[in-house]
Amino acid sequence: MEPRISVHVGSGSAHTRLQPKVLELFLDTVMGPAPVGAQLRRAAGEREVMEPALEGTGEEEKKASSRKHTMAGSPVKGLLQPMKLSQAELYKEPTNEELNHLRETEILFHSSLLRLQVEELLKEVRLSEKKKERIDAFLQEVNQRILRVPSTPETELTDQEWLPAGVRVPLHQVPFTVKGCFRFLPPAHITIVGSYLLGTCIRPDINVDVALTMPREILQDKDGLNQRYFRKRALYLAHLAHHLAQDPLFGSVRFSYTNGCHLKPLLLLRPCGKDGHLVTVHLHPCPPPGFFRPCRLLPTKNNVRSAWYRGQGLPGDGSPEPPTPHYNTWVLQDMVLESHMQLLSSVLGSAPGPKDGVALLKVWLRQRELDKGLGGFSGFLVSMLVAFLMSTRKIHTTMSGYQVLRSVLQFLATTDLTVNGISLCHSSDPSLPALADFHQAFSVVFLDSSGHLNLCADVTAATYHQMQHEARLSMALLDSKADDGFQLLLMTPKPMIRAFDHILHLRPLSRLQAACHRLKLWPELQDLGGDYVSAALGPLTTLLEQGLGSRLHLMAHSRPPVPEWEIGQDPPKHKDSGALTLGLLLRTEGLTSVLEMGPEADQPEAADFRQFWGSCSELRRFKDGAIREAVVWEAASMAQKRLIPHQVVTHLLALHADIPDTCIHYVGGLLDALIQGLKETSTGEEALAAAVRCYDDLSRLLWGLEGLPLTVSAVQGAHPVLRYTEVFPPTPVRPAYSFYEHLRDRASLLPRPDKPCPAYVEPMTVVCHLEGSGQWPQDAEAVRRVRAAFQLRLAELLSQQHGLQCRATATHTDVLKDGFVFRVRVAYQKEPQILREMRSPEGMISLRDTPASLRLERDTRQLPLLTSALHGLQQQHPAFSGVARLAKRWVRAQLLGEGLTDESLDLLAAALFLHPEPFTPPSSPQVGFLRFLFLVSTFDWKNNPLIVNLNNELTAEEQVEIRNGFVAARTHLPVMVIVTPQDHRSSVWTQSGPSAQILQRLVVLAAEALPILEKQLMDPWGPGDIRTVFRPPLDIYDVLIRLSPRHIPRHRQAVDSPATSFCRGLLSEPGPSPLMPVLGYDPPQIYLAQLREAFGDLALFFYDQHGGEVIGVLWKPTSFQPQPFKASNTKGRMVVSQVGELMMVPNVEAILEDFAVLGEGLVQAVEARSERWTV
Amino acid sequence: MVARRRKRAARASEEAIPSPPGYSAVPVKFSEKQQACHHLYVREHRVREGTKSAWPPKRTLFVLNVPPYCTEEGLSRLLSPCGHIQSLELQEKPVLAEGPEEPKSTFFHPKPVPGFRVAYVVFQKAGGVMAALALKGPLLVSTESHPVKTGVHKWISDYADSVLDPEALRVEVDTFMEAYDKKVAEEETKAKEEEGVPDEEGWVKVTRRGRRPVLPRTEAASLRVLEREKRKRARKELLNFYAWQHRETKMEHLAQLRKKFEEDKQRIELMRAQRKFRPY
Repeated sequence: MEPRISVHVGSGSAHTRLQPKVLELFLDTVMGPAPVGAQLRRAAGEREVMEPALEGTGEEEKKASSRKHTMAGSPVKGLLQPMKLSQAELYKEPTNEELNHLRETEILFHSSLLRLQVEELLKEVRLSEKKKERIDAFLQEVNQRILRVPSTPETELTDQEWLPAGVRVPLHQVPFTVKGCFRFLPPAHITIVGSYLLGTCIRPDINVDVALTMPREILQDKDGLNQRYFRKRALYLAHLAHHLAQDPLFGSVRFSYTNGCHLKPLLLLRPCGKDGHLVTVHLHPCPPPGFFRPCRLLPTKNNVRSAWYRGQGLPGDGSPEPPTPHYNTWVLQDMVLESHMQLLSSVLGSAPGPKDGVALLKVWLRQRELDKGLGGFSGFLVSMLVAFLMSTRKIHTTMSGYQVLRSVLQFLATTDLTVNGISLCHSSDPSLPALADFHQAFSVVFLDSSGHLNLCADVTAATYHQMQHEARLSMALLDSKADDGFQLLLMTPKPMIRAFDHILHLRPLSRLQAACHRLKLWPELQDLGGDYVSAALGPLTTLLEQGLGSRLHLMAHSRPPVPEWEIGQDPPKHKDSGALTLGLLLRTEGLTSVLEMGPEADQPEAADFRQFWGSCSELRRFKDGAIREAVVWEAASMAQKRLIPHQVVTHLLALHADIPDTCIHYVGGLLDALIQGLKETSTGEEALAAAVRCYDDLSRLLWGLEGLPLTVSAVQGAHPVLRYTEVFPPTPVRPAYSFYEHLRDRASLLPRPDKPCPAYVEPMTVVCHLEGSGQWPQDAEAVRRVRAAFQLRLAELLSQQHGLQCRATATHTDVLKDGFVFRVRVAYQKEPQILREMRSPEGMISLRDTPASLRLERDTRQLPLLTSALHGLQQQHPAFSGVARLAKRWVRAQLLGEGLTDESLDLLAAALFLHPEPFTPPSSPQVGFLRFLFLVSTFDWKNNPLIVNLNNELTAEEQVEIRNGFVAARTHLPVMVIVTPQDHRSSVWTQSGPSAQILQRLVVLAAEALPILEKQLMDPWGPGDIRTVFRPPLDIYDVLIRLSPRHIPRHRQAVDSPATSFCRGLLSEPGPSPLMPVLGYDPPQIYLAQLREAFGDLALFFYDQHGGEVIGVLWKPTSFQPQPFKASNTKGRMVVSQVGELMMVPNVEAILEDFAVLGEGLVQAVEARSERWTV
Repeated sequence: MVARRRKRAARASEEAIPSPPGYSAVPVKFSEKQQACHHLYVREHRVREGTKSAWPPKRTLFVLNVPPYCTEEGLSRLLSPCGHIQSLELQEKPVLAEGPEEPKSTFFHPKPVPGFRVAYVVFQKAGGVMAALALKGPLLVSTESHPVKTGVHKWISDYADSVLDPEALRVEVDTFMEAYDKKVAEEETKAKEEEGVPDEEGWVKVTRRGRRPVLPRTEAASLRVLEREKRKRARKELLNFYAWQHRETKMEHLAQLRKKFEEDKQRIELMRAQRKFRPY
């Protein structure tokens, strides 16, 4: 079902102004996709409109659907509705079939939902019968065309004159000279192999593998030697390509590599016309069965002679020829295509469950980008793995697809094939090579049924470990009951940039050639036919893994992509694949240490350590008296410590592989600049910690305060600084007194009109609970007076006993301590209850929530709880602060900061750490921010609450209950629902916003920002301007109010740091006697409050509180429709006579002038950019 | 836009400014510099019969659409040519019933941010109202002789005002609490007097403070009692004792499964609609 509003968009055109009627239709749909330009236009529909919008999707739609019976029961406009089943339906006699189905679900699947989901997914990825027929017909044609390709006369291998001009040999022939003759003869057999026949191939890329058995006459003895077989194979394809390319049946005829192996090209055939994307036929030439003797292709044998490979001039120096295991494997692979096919079809042929399982596993691998490229874990390998598990009785034919998936993941998670290889071969023939031989030659070992071929020959240890890691994560996910495993396991993509904390690119790749020489990898190069990228990959990853040691959890590398090229082009070179990308998953605990401790100086290992670390290693004496080798990295702040891996990588690569730092592009801290102050190297964790320490001191003072009528029982923080999520941490204030007006008798400073606005100081709220007492009055007004008395007394005592500068008001006491200002609020536990009390006419006292009681409850109970929980989270995950602040920064930079509360954004960030599935908790702000964007842009707010299980307090049952309650109560809940253990139902932090429109705008912006940012970060040649996604689009606003930087106190925090700066009345050193600085004085905020109060029902105002220079104004379309006169609704409107009737319309010209009048001094210009209001 | 503005200005000068029935419109602007005007809609203050109003009839002028920069002093200056003003009050919205509330403490009820407001102006004589209705604009809120602060200057003076005098606060708290204590004490003595004394029908009022305290009459307390009763009953009941109970629990389980299944189907339907099953 396509969301319907897109139709309106088409006719209403996003660029021209939308008509009010269209807009109302927009407003009805809470969250359908809509063009960007229209997003905020909808946002302009005010709050009143939003509620009916939600209501409308509930009630009215139900009516509509019952009217139209076609739609009965189906969710309209994508909102889940509570299920209502009649008693008769619920309690009817069950049929046998139904009972069986239920039982099956119970046994074979996790839950009925999972079963349905898996079935749907399989339906989606499976090939339809119709398409199969078309593909079969195409294959028939292909078969005939191939057999009709004419033969050629015999020529020398090096004589390639006979090849027509339009086709190039798809192989780098280095060295060129090789003995042997070639002629083309049509293939002896054409067989379809692979997943297509098995029925396990999945969309979107449907491939059919066709094996062409070359006639015996083409091949000669000893063709296995020195790439002769591969040369013939390439020439065979070249001739075939030339003839097939002339056939109009094919839309495209191109070359590619088999599994990325550059010695083994293959031919891709695609049908022409609209079937172009239907299927790709892969032609693999292969030798006649039994042509090569397997014993010559053992992993210990050499088949590429050094004399030939390194040039004829080199005489044999007597050293033994190095074995060429990979080369041998590639030859062997071609030999066994058909026997593997037979094995798989005998095992999987009649078992639907395992087939489903293979399809699911392919999806699983695909989402994790594990299946592509040279050394990827392809679908074929997975099928073989399933076959292996079936042969060991771990999988049974009656198992469901889900169970097969589970068993394979379980196997992967627990078995390390890099240490204990497995084999499909059951014969005990002594002539077969031992597993140990294979382990010596390959990093991952999985032998096929012949016992000669390692199926995982190209898979690197790093890839396998990555897969194990993924399997372990997935198993944990499947075992936990609360989460929607299906979605996270099979539907969530895990691209490298979002899965790993830090990324580094090595480029240009040609540099690796030098590295290979430096690392002395000549035998490997000879084995791999000169593929220096693959040759260097293994040693480099091992080197870095060793160097990063305890900082590293997992390292993964990108696999070179499999190129495709036209038949008239030369095959791509190794360096053409762009860059080698490494992903680092960091260990939080290891990141804090700057020291790499080595062995004691007199131990023999010391020399190794010195050799490994080079000049960085120094002898150091430690506190316990030991003298050890050690490496100390320079890092003062948390941000720098997080980037120590960068130093390690640069140092080690330069030292051991001759790769200079100009060839390394490290992507780890690029976004840090956005949460750094000007000219600072720290990302603020230290400054926040200093503020928290000061708060701790203050709370101790409060605890020990003498002379208060009731003693202090608890002090709790309730400010973003105290949970490490304030974007820009406070700095101690040292005011320059000459800059201010003085209010001597109250020891306070005042701003001066003739100076620029003073620095912004925000007091940090602290809630102070007193011990219980029966003496408190039982009347709301009286309680407030008593509280005020406490505030006064508190100020008095703090300045008497500790000499702190204090200022008391009726609701709080401001305390100046070490340059930080705290706002202490005394709380009385029972006050919310007193505010809630209502007396019914019969004299019964009942408790009903009122706005005042809810606000008080939130400020004095829930906010401190949340603050302490998030403070705890920061201690567990040091990256939390960075992620939360980047996220907040971004939302505010997009001018949406007012729509979302601080706390809701903090909770969103916390969710990334508490529920990281399918990832691991982020260890760097960068990856956390990307996942924040992903979460915001993909979460289905309409049908799901976001559960943030702080301190793990919610049980699985409670979570299920919350989800069920959510569907039933959806219409009464805010658009964005965040559930915490303290708040199961009401979602306090999103009650006041965002509205449906603002949320929708946020979703769209996040969905746009994510790919842009990911592309920038994954670009190996540099990110370009990283601030791009932080700059808001301004063209959607109707009016822009430009502000004068002179009166913007936080001007220097702007995304693009301003060229000019103003003196804000601060000293670099502590001043004389402390006076209370100017608190919370932020002219743009005061101005905005006035604007919202005066014109809130006519327009929306958007502003970035971190140094924004512009306020965006959006007129609300509903308020611009002429309305009849109403005494309560005249605000800023005027009466005009329209067609003989008196109607009210907004007095826009006067209002625009009011904007300037109200903000005199602050406002530079008011730009009206549209004339939409003249309707 | 300029052309339109000129046209509108021209039109405004030609004909009378349109105003809703019963009201007359008075143009007002901030100062000479501004081009466009807001309109004050004024009329005599009237209430429906039977309702009381705090403002005297005939003498009170009701003003709608007072711009946010217009203060009480400013407005009284603008209207003073019409007659001597006895009192002037600005309100968020028209007050329907009783009229001016008792003045609130400035410490505990901070002044709200001003928006567009309504005003009740009480003239000493009824003639003032008539004169005001006939006012021709445009009135100027801020003139050279009486400048009105807006923007940065106003915010700075507001900030200065927000720095309160703690002594004054203390005094206000003390006087309030004294009055409150007195009130509570009076109530208590009254309750004590009534303690155990039957009224004319012979009923005795029982309070919490009595010798034998009773349950407080709150909703929470009655709910607690009900809950306790329910638990007591549940303890006595036997589960899965009779064959029909067995049957019923099984059926109940099946019904639960069915319900869950239907819900899941709905969820799937929705996900399919959102194309959530495409792993690519």
